[in-house]
Amino acid sequence: MATRRAWLQAANEGVPEAARLVHEGDLPFGGEVVHRWRLGNGLTVLLLLDESAPVASYHTWFKVGSRHERPGKTGLAHLFEHLMFNETENLPAGTFDRKLEENGAETNAATWVDWTYYYESLPADRIKLAVKLEAERMARLVLREPQVKSEKEVVANERRYRVDDDVEGSANELLYKTAFARHPYGWPTIGWMEDIQGFTPEDCAAFYRTYYAPNNATVVAVGDVRERDLLLAIRDAYASIPAQAIPPEDIHPEPPQLELREIEVRKPTVTEKLLLAFKGPALGDADHVPMSVLSEVLFGGRASRLYRSLVVERELATDVRGWVSTFRDPGLFECWGTARDRHTTREIQKVMDDAFARLRDEVVGEQELARAKARLELGLLQQLETIPGKAEQIGFYETVLGDPAHAFHRVEGFRRTTASDLRRVARRYLVDGARTIVRVLPDEGGAKEEAAQ
Amino acid sequence: MSAARVRARTQPLRFELDGGALAMLEPSHAVPLVSIVVALRSGSAADPAAKSGLARIAMRMLRRGCEGLTAHEIDFRIDALGAEMAVDTSPSTVAIHAQVIARNLDAFVELLAKTLATPTFPQDELERLQRESVAEIVEGRDNDRVVAQKALQRTLFEGHPYGRNAGGTTDSIRAIGRDDVLAFHRRHVVQGNVVIGFAGDVTAERAPVLARRIIAELPRGEAARDDVPEPTLRPGRRLLVVDKPERTQTQILVATLGTSPHDEDHVPLVVANAVFGGTFTSRLMREVRSKRGWSYGASARTVIDRHRQAWVMWTFPAAEDAAPCLKLTVELMEAWVQGGVLPREVAFIQRYLIRSHAFDVDTAAKRLHQALDVELLALPADYYGGWVDAVRAVTPEAAGAAVRNRIHTGDLLAVVVGTASQVLEPLRAALPGLTEASVVPFDAE
Repeated sequence: MATRRAWLQAANEGVPEAARLVHEGDLPFGGEVVHRWRLGNGLTVLLLLDESAPVASYHTWFKVGSRHERPGKTGLAHLFEHLMFNETENLPAGTFDRKLEENGAETNAATWVDWTYYYESLPADRIKLAVKLEAERMARLVLREPQVKSEKEVVANERRYRVDDDVEGSANELLYKTAFARHPYGWPTIGWMEDIQGFTPEDCAAFYRTYYAPNNATVVAVGDVRERDLLLAIRDAYASIPAQAIPPEDIHPEPPQLELREIEVRKPTVTEKLLLAFKGPALGDADHVPMSVLSEVLFGGRASRLYRSLVVERELATDVRGWVSTFRDPGLFECWGTARDRHTTREIQKVMDDAFARLRDEVVGEQELARAKARLELGLLQQLETIPGKAEQIGFYETVLGDPAHAFHRVEGFRRTTASDLRRVARRYLVDGARTIVRVLPDEGGAKEEAAQ
Repeated sequence: MSAARVRARTQPLRFELDGGALAMLEPSHAVPLVSIVVALRSGSAADPAAKSGLARIAMRMLRRGCEGLTAHEIDFRIDALGAEMAVDTSPSTVAIHAQVIARNLDAFVELLAKTLATPTFPQDELERLQRESVAEIVEGRDNDRVVAQKALQRTLFEGHPYGRNAGGTTDSIRAIGRDDVLAFHRRHVVQGNVVIGFAGDVTAERAPVLARRIIAELPRGEAARDDVPEPTLRPGRRLLVVDKPERTQTQILVATLGTSPHDEDHVPLVVANAVFGGTFTSRLMREVRSKRGWSYGASARTVIDRHRQAWVMWTFPAAEDAAPCLKLTVELMEAWVQGGVLPREVAFIQRYLIRSHAFDVDTAAKRLHQALDVELLALPADYYGGWVDAVRAVTPEAAGAAVRNRIHTGDLLAVVVGTASQVLEPLRAALPGLTEASVVPFDAE
């Protein structure tokens, strides 16, 4: 086989600039390697060859999410994700999914604040079908009124399911709305209901033209594939799609929160729920790693401080959870507690506050720190168990941080984290007077009797 | 981590152990993780009727104290080893599912063996777990889909062990005593009733050694008998509205009896069901979501177990679309039963099922779970191994006949979670031939 250099030289000979392949380097990914390529039109291609099973996963990550929307047009990135499964110039409505299913593929997509991604997981020998279909809908999507109308209904139903009729979903939406006054993280990715219902095909077309371009996308392929064959297939499919001028982001950083914001809401639920959040670091911030360890000390597993205290010992809560948002810009450190029986969010908050104070005042013991790190390491390994899981990790970290192997750098960071790092970030972020609290209370006359028995 | 070339095997390695226990291994060294399953050949169907949830409670009690270790010490040790441990309960089996970072496998197996063989079942921990379980049941009422599934199960299989909830009810959990837990452990956690599975970074040499360690201190004992009778279906068309206030959306489950894995027409029915509601482009999805936008999801599935289980169709439309959606989906079901499936539909779904089979076996854990299912659900030995050939052999005629023979549109149960004052009357009108309609509050169980 020709050396990569010789092969590349031959492959690029006489082809237009937009179709040239550039090898940008090989990056260690645990014991494996991610090969980084770029096509002349700006499309980033990341390949990881994994022969452990005869399957492949093909992901297309776009650097567009709900952060790129504006008030009155919230939910457009997500609605658009739905529309991408409809009609293209060469594929009548319904054909996209049928072709994939017929070839044994699973396909889906997701949208969040910073990104949108689409994937196909399919038998490895069918991967070129995914290449062809993804290139087709990146450039030749057809947006007509009937599909937009029907898909708005589907999304409205998705919103009812995930938010309006879901206590946790609606509390979470309220939390971000209250915590972010200026930054787009304040509106929900699924969009406000009135915005969803107001979209026109023109809104969708403008969004498509602006953000769905090869130079705003990363293709990730993981699996039992041949690198050179796949690269040539990608070039054939994508080279004719022109790069676009991606507009510079027009986002105002969230001003520092200096005060306590507190909201109570009533819902048809049996028990009270507490959602309490501090402003947290961005995913790329060096503090994100120790904050994640801190969250694990407090909330990770039955032996964590707050699970043990609130669920096991005092029996004030049914469930407690914590999460440091993995966003490109500073997000939140969310703390969730579901009250048990007639216990209240205020009782839960008191115990949480004591735990926050202890982290600010004392250092965490070595055994407790090791416990948290072991759980985080397990979590990472679980994400890498499957071929689609690896592709997702690569695509996510590339899109948010520009580093496809960042998951492993986080593990190294977890290992290096010390007890004094935890105390430092606790003092920096766990500021009681500058946080947001949402309390969900049962509707008057709610079914409390059972819970009280 | 290295991506060693490991191709899917059709069968995992099997190790017959002393006392009738069985161990299986699906090795994969791609990631330094090991999945471990310790399953019993008995599940929630064996729970006493008034003490449903016993199997689950008893298995969850294993980590609430054992010789020399308190519940907290066990919890801390599991976490510190980079491990997770949970209990999964179904009518036919209750199992511990664990995962551990490979370097800590030996230490974790020691801990697992100890919790299985020497639990102390402290009274205060049992009472704590009972309170925890009751609170979880109460909390589950926030999730309309869970509410719908529970109502369906207890109504469709009323009076049958499959109608009991594996997690129990608030009353049945409170009725469980320490003696019940001890008796369960004595009877069921015995060598002859245990199946152990390993998937992941373990060698064929170590797996039987570790499996023997796990069961070493268990009494011998025998496999549990399956006393579950064949379920029967109440005749007629029934509607059950589970009343919950302020719902903007409904959860609709339409069910009847489905298939047994031992039926001759089992695979044809599964193929026909995939045409009807098994994929994104299925008839249900096309009519309900793509054409009308009524529900974010629309699907139909066949549940499998040791005995005939349910066939269930699921949609979740807005409250104002609930009645037309129920009407449409039942009409689609009738058309499916009467008209069968078209040759082109069967050909299409066969290509899907055969080609996507790669994803049924692409990880060691999935291959292990298939083998465990065969063992624990008493499936035909070649159920998964011969799956692709069986699917390939299905004809449109056989698929149509299977639907006609097995799916009864005249005997069905529709469960709808919604606000009764808003949806009950339109739903009654939407279901012709209704023989019974009732309303229960969402917190009835």
